[in-house]
Amino acid sequence: MAQYSAELDGVLVALADPTRRGVIRRLGRGPKSVGDLAREFPMTLPSFMKHVRMLETNGLISTVKHGRVRTCALSPDRLALVDDWLAEQRRIWEDRTDRLERLVTDPTEERR
Amino acid sequence: MNPDLDLTLERVIRAPRDAVWSAWTDPSRLEQWWVPAPTVCRVDRLDVRPGGGFVTRMSDDGARFVPHMDATFLVVDDGERIVFTTAIDSDWRPASPAPVLMTAEITLSDHPDGTGYRVVVRHGDPAARALHEELGFSVGWGSVTEQLAGIVESRAVR
Repeated sequence: MAQYSAELDGVLVALADPTRRGVIRRLGRGPKSVGDLAREFPMTLPSFMKHVRMLETNGLISTVKHGRVRTCALSPDRLALVDDWLAEQRRIWEDRTDRLERLVTDPTEERR
Repeated sequence: MNPDLDLTLERVIRAPRDAVWSAWTDPSRLEQWWVPAPTVCRVDRLDVRPGGGFVTRMSDDGARFVPHMDATFLVVDDGERIVFTTAIDSDWRPASPAPVLMTAEITLSDHPDGTGYRVVVRHGDPAARALHEELGFSVGWGSVTEQLAGIVESRAVR
């Protein structure tokens, strides 16, 4: 639990910034080089690199350097923290629909 | 649709459309399925028209009720479609990010076996999702609030 909390702390801090959320959203469409990413955000490259490093430190993205180009990609396993949340919402709506279906198909239910 | 943020589910419900519509729009029927038993649901407001309030409370003992949802209907097409959002509350005040920011769209259509039932739920940004992911584990509000307060406070002194 402590381990999990520490990981979640990292994710929450990493996501508590509009630039870093922007990077996550952008990378959701596929990997991109740091240079291409940086052009989409109104700040200097060194400032932007701080955000990239923070996302990488917290395991939300990974970066690989090929020659002079550093490419960023989302880390699916860490983002699974977030995917599980969506699965939970799905379960809530599935269960809710089951109950609605039981109510409206119940033959003893008086039609109003 | 954004697959990272949104969910869709589709069913065929073997009942006529008007029965499904009434289960959504009649408070005494909505209360019967909106939250899982044994939790008891009470519908405080169900003003099914664009801009109308949608407020539910819940109770574990049937006596003490706590807030469950405070939302506003955006679109209502009679017998066909309901859209509501928790992004503004039933007084149209921009909502704080709890319990969950979402816009839900429920569409009913004719189907040979009854009613085609489609739900699309669009959620807020990943920061809210990460927070609610922990709520999903039933850790409880206390520890989440503590943890979040800890983070916010440690950031403030940096």
